[in-house]
Amino acid sequence: MNWTVGKKISAGFGLALAILVLIGAAAFRNTNALRASNDAVSRAHHAQARLQLLLSLLMDVESGSRGYVITGDEGYLAPYEAAGKELPRVLADVRSMASRSTEAEAETAQLAAMIEERRGFAEALVDLRRASGFEAARAEVETNKGRELTAKIRQLVAQLEERERGVLQAARNEAHATARRTKIWIIGGTFAAAVLLSFAAMLIARDIARPLDEFSRVAERIAGGDFSVTLTTDRRRTDEVGVLTRSFEKMRQRLHLMSGAAKQIAAGNLTIKVQPQSTEDAIGTAFAAMAESLRSVIEEMVSAVNVLASSASEILGSTAQLAASASETATALTETTATVEEVKQTSRLSSQKAKYVSDEAQRAVAVAQSGRRSVNETIEGMNSIRQGTSAVAESILSLSAQSQAIGEIIATVDDLAAQSKLLAVNAAIEAAKAGEEGRGFSVVAQEVRSLAAQSRAATTQVRGILSEIQKATTSAVLAAEQGGKAVELGVQQSTAAGESIAALAESIAHAAQAATQIAATSQQQFVGMDQVALAMVSVKTASTQTVASTRQAEAAAQEIHALGQKLKAIVERFKV
Amino acid sequence: MNSPDEERWSDVRARLAAVDAAIEHGFSPSPEEEQELLRARARALAAQPEESVAPGELIAITEFVLAGEHYGFLLEHVRSVSVLTELTPVPCVPPFIVGIVNLRGQIRTVIDLRRFFELPAKGITDANMIILLENAGMQLAILADAVRGVHTIASAEMRPSRSAPVGRRADYVRGVTAAGVIVLDAARLLADKRIIVEEQVEV
Repeated sequence: MNWTVGKKISAGFGLALAILVLIGAAAFRNTNALRASNDAVSRAHHAQARLQLLLSLLMDVESGSRGYVITGDEGYLAPYEAAGKELPRVLADVRSMASRSTEAEAETAQLAAMIEERRGFAEALVDLRRASGFEAARAEVETNKGRELTAKIRQLVAQLEERERGVLQAARNEAHATARRTKIWIIGGTFAAAVLLSFAAMLIARDIARPLDEFSRVAERIAGGDFSVTLTTDRRRTDEVGVLTRSFEKMRQRLHLMSGAAKQIAAGNLTIKVQPQSTEDAIGTAFAAMAESLRSVIEEMVSAVNVLASSASEILGSTAQLAASASETATALTETTATVEEVKQTSRLSSQKAKYVSDEAQRAVAVAQSGRRSVNETIEGMNSIRQGTSAVAESILSLSAQSQAIGEIIATVDDLAAQSKLLAVNAAIEAAKAGEEGRGFSVVAQEVRSLAAQSRAATTQVRGILSEIQKATTSAVLAAEQGGKAVELGVQQSTAAGESIAALAESIAHAAQAATQIAATSQQQFVGMDQVALAMVSVKTASTQTVASTRQAEAAAQEIHALGQKLKAIVERFKV
Repeated sequence: MNSPDEERWSDVRARLAAVDAAIEHGFSPSPEEEQELLRARARALAAQPEESVAPGELIAITEFVLAGEHYGFLLEHVRSVSVLTELTPVPCVPPFIVGIVNLRGQIRTVIDLRRFFELPAKGITDANMIILLENAGMQLAILADAVRGVHTIASAEMRPSRSAPVGRRADYVRGVTAAGVIVLDAARLLADKRIIVEEQVEV
């Protein structure tokens, strides 16, 4: 049965619809029948009521006319006239409602004619009464024409009522039958529909629901991530289930492929290429894009990890250096703390010293005063020295003049010696010429010459001494002059020294004030250094913490370094 | 006053006292000094002259200095020595004749040996002494810077001149003594024809 699922479902629904239509049709027909019966019943009832009304109106006409006839009172004519007007309308109703049968129509027509006749009689009676009076009218009435007519009418009406009663009974019976038939139709139809539709539903369920159930189970497993399941449904089916099976299988295979690709990617092989089936292949496109982006991400990560590894190395180096620096800083801080302590002591010492200096400066001011007096005395002494030196220079100059006189005398002696020598030479010559007799004379001449030579030597010596004296004199005069100048200079310098000492005294006074201020400042400095020492202790603590932190940072940097290496290893697992 | 100055001043005072004492005694030597002086002279005279050991002939020379060189003439040719005063220049004579002088009333020609010997004009010369030479009735005065005196030497001591002959001097050198004195031959100098002036000047 190579029907499509739609056809199958349509067939099932069609069957149900057919049964429903069948039942509905039966019910409709029976309902119509029932309604017809009902109408007939009601019309029969109505007709009966109208007939009674007709009779009543006829009575009104009769009684009215009778009353007028008897009394001649126009007041009795009111119901007569009303009924006369009403009668044709009611008669028309009766004619329209009477059973559709030729007999009934004939009877009705007869009735109408009789009623018209009866009314005509009444009318004529009334007209007679009005025209001829009572007696004429009574005579008319005594003809019994009216009574007879009325009886006939009553008979006809009873006949008609009987007929309508029969019609009513027949309609009732018809309605009962129709109701029973309808019940049978509904019960039987419903049962048959139940059986048929159950069978159809069973068939459809077997054909569609079972594969769907399998699909749902397989889909559940696929949703659970198991792509290895297979469908037992016949793939050669040409209906939608077959198509669905094939599509489902295709989807499963595709997912299996994707999972394999994902597994490869998970294993780190990013070189695989995922070809999207079409432009609408969202997962394939996404997979390809994912692989591509993963590839780029991994590549970037590789470079980033390399950077990270090198940075971690650098950080490690820097941190190690920092740790070393921090240690050095700690050492330096220890030294600085010691230095601060020393400075503290020094500032205390300098405070004391400044006090001492202040006192000393006060004393120095007094010393400077006495020094100034001494300088004045010195200047006086210098002046007397200058006078003494001038006297010495004059004495030396007179000595020099006397030495010059001695030099003149010596020159004379020298001249004498030279002439003596010449004489001696000439004497020797003469003695030599005298021969043997002159030999003694020659000796004398020799002696004279020797004496002359000695005299010359002595004069030379004296000249040398005089020269020495002259030099000494010159230098003494110069020395005296220089002494004078030196004394002059000394006086000037002493004066300057006096002024300097005065200035010095002033400076020392200032210095004393400054020293007092220094003493106060040093005291403040001492207090400040105390605070600095406290601060240094804090800094030392902080530095120790810094060292510890740096050690931790170093450990962290080592961990980062290891992490970088690990990341590198991880990233290298990916084949890009 | 510190102590070195004090010492110096006391030293000065002591020396002044010594000078005062010396002036008071009129520079006369003390008797002990006098005795010592005399004794030294006696010893000098008592000593045997060393040249007496030299055999042979003894000659006496008069030594003088001219332009830094020591020259000598035999004593027999020297008439006298004197100080040069009033040198009178003579016109129309060779350059070596510097002029004429009056020696004890006698007019004598003065020559300059340096110019005569045609020695190069170098060295400082004083030329304030005159040595009067005489040989065979001929007298001639020569200029000298200084006269050193009369010496007696052995003739064996004389050596011929070893220095290179300069100018005309070589013609008049008799020899050189051990003391380096160039002994000139006064006889030859006086007998030399070149000294004779035969110059005529047209008036």
